[in-house]
Amino acid sequence: MASIEMRDIVKTYGDHPVLHGVDLSIADGEFIVLVGPSGCGKSTLLRMIAGLESISSGTMSIDGREVNDLKPKDRDIAMVFQSYALYPHMTVADNMSYSLRLRRTAKEKIAAAVAAASAKLGLDPFLARRPKALSGGQRQRVAMGRAIVRQPKAFLFDEPLSNLDARLREQMRAEIKRMHAEFGATSVYVTHDQIEAMTLASRIVAMNAGAVQQIGAPLELYDRPANLFVAGFIGSPGMNMLDGTMVSDNGTSLVRLTNGTTIALGQAVDLPEGTSVTLGIRPEHVSIRPATGGVAAAVELVEPTGLGIILHLTVHGLPFKIFTSDRALLAPGTNLTVGFPAERLHLFGPDGRRIALDAPDGSGISSLTTS
Amino acid sequence: MTSSSTGSRPRKPFARRLADAAEPWLYTAPVLVLIVAVMLVPLVLGLSYAFRDIQLLNPFSGGFVGLDHFRELSQDTAFYRALRNTLWWTGASVFLQFFFGLILALLLDKPFAGRGLAQALVFLPWAVPTFLAGLNWAWMFNPVIGPLPHWMVSLGILSAPNNILADPQLAMWGPIIANVWWGIPFFAITLLAALQAIPRDLYEAAAIDGANPLQRFTSITLPFLAPTIAITVLLRTVWIANFADLIIVMTNGGPADRTQIVASYIFTQAFKRLDFGYASAIALVLLVLLLAYSMVIVVIRQRLIEKD
Ligand SMILES: Nc1ncnc2c1ncn2[C@@H]1O[C@H](COP(=O)(O)OP(=O)(O)OP(=O)(O)O)[C@@H](O)[C@H]1O
Ligand SMILES: [Mg+2]
Repeated sequence: MASIEMRDIVKTYGDHPVLHGVDLSIADGEFIVLVGPSGCGKSTLLRMIAGLESISSGTMSIDGREVNDLKPKDRDIAMVFQSYALYPHMTVADNMSYSLRLRRTAKEKIAAAVAAASAKLGLDPFLARRPKALSGGQRQRVAMGRAIVRQPKAFLFDEPLSNLDARLREQMRAEIKRMHAEFGATSVYVTHDQIEAMTLASRIVAMNAGAVQQIGAPLELYDRPANLFVAGFIGSPGMNMLDGTMVSDNGTSLVRLTNGTTIALGQAVDLPEGTSVTLGIRPEHVSIRPATGGVAAAVELVEPTGLGIILHLTVHGLPFKIFTSDRALLAPGTNLTVGFPAERLHLFGPDGRRIALDAPDGSGISSLTTS
Repeated sequence: MTSSSTGSRPRKPFARRLADAAEPWLYTAPVLVLIVAVMLVPLVLGLSYAFRDIQLLNPFSGGFVGLDHFRELSQDTAFYRALRNTLWWTGASVFLQFFFGLILALLLDKPFAGRGLAQALVFLPWAVPTFLAGLNWAWMFNPVIGPLPHWMVSLGILSAPNNILADPQLAMWGPIIANVWWGIPFFAITLLAALQAIPRDLYEAAAIDGANPLQRFTSITLPFLAPTIAITVLLRTVWIANFADLIIVMTNGGPADRTQIVASYIFTQAFKRLDFGYASAIALVLLVLLLAYSMVIVVIRQRLIEKD
């Protein structure tokens, strides 16, 4: 088990920068999930930890030892690839034992390690088969098995479940969580899947365009996104973003939207009047038919998800989404009154950074650290 | 005829059934006629020469001689020498072409500046006509006009700048070297194509698992290349065993038949001695030997595939 330290990691391909100075400290036993849009450099960062990609500048250390120039095999980490990368000419058992055989581990030890891993993953019936005779889910398990037989210092996962169907993905997600709870191995996990990120992570690292946007516990990113990017990226359906300007009235602040509607923040915010800001509210936090106040809205489109429904509305011409479990609202064309509870609002300044609304005195302005 | 048509199904009239049965044959007839005319007729005709006495300069020849040619062949020491030379020529050429072709393919598989140009250049020998290649190499081995003998003396390979094509001990190396030069691109192209089809992440997974380059080669590259290697070596072996152009141009089988292979021996018999009957008999033996070899390889390959 190991800690991983990244200091100002930069990656450029030719003169094309892909990662601009990533700082990240991963403690022993942590489960770190890297999320971000396609092409933001998640895989690149993961491959740099593995040693498959050279580090343009900055330092990477594992357990306090700099590994910049260390070959992958000397870093003692295991990686699960999205394509699984199983050796097609070896049986399942040989696939799992390959690394141990290369290390000239004793035969009995190899057999014991393979048996333990295959029992844990339910691979016993397939040990003598070649990968091409396995289903996608079974291959995925072999890839996991190949990683765990080695008992490496750390596990790296690059979208390991993205080729599985939804049900299987759910199962394997739980499996991975269970294994992490059991072994406590340091893990870095790249995914596109919100739920995987939220459920597995000790901490999520949200990345965009080669830069870390926010690092924190899943609920911290959900409740207090550091900037507009994180606010929009975390959560599904995504947060509603409304552009507006600051106005103040009787010591409390309001935001006047582009269509003229004003929304009360319920506290005074120390921003000059007329500052352009963005107001965010998650679809599940909008209240329907609020007791007081409220804005008229028309239902345009209804998307039932089973768990609830996603309503697409317009508020004075602005598109808007609500997530609700009230099935009575299923019909398009319905008119509603919606409210924006002040304690659920997120405010972002002109630079896109979060402006804290939840400070007790209601006036402090602070931005969370971003890089 | 209609008396039997009282069954549950009324039968069509005979002419109708005949037309139905003949229909597919009529559609394929043009192609079948073409195949028979172009492929089978010459083959059968050629093979029939082996059992006839056909000498161009003898107007009384042409009669059927049965197995006489084969009896003569079984006593022909020149033929046995040619058979041994064929083994040596084919084995050395195929092995060296394959070996250097594989190394070249492995080098060209790695990205480097100017790879596109290098790939184009490597494939150049393939485009050179064999007769030109043979003449070119013959000149290069000639100490009067070619540099090679002098270089080999400087390197200590030869004791004096002589023409190795005239040296009974070394003459076979001349056509073999020319053949290797000419045939490397074939292996380089096919092996490179096979190499590029290997998923890169397998190598990455192996690197993480702790495999060094040699271990990656033996546990990933070789198994992936095996089917291509089997089929290309089979093809090249048959091809080179039949390939007399370079030998005819460079040594014409000499000195003292030291570079005579079966294919060039056939050529000599047919076009120098103008004994087409005897040449056809030798060709038939070569055909049978190569067919047997191909069968063995196909069976071995099948076994390997079944084991997979
Ligand atoms: N060999 C390369 N040469 C040049 N650019 C590259 C190379 N490999 C990756 N890139 C670029 O680096 C950026 C980051 O790629 P990376 O694979 O890390 O993205 P990612 O975040 O993993 O995306 P995805 O979620 O789609 O897998 C991309 O813009 C990509 O085009
Ligand atoms: Mg990726």
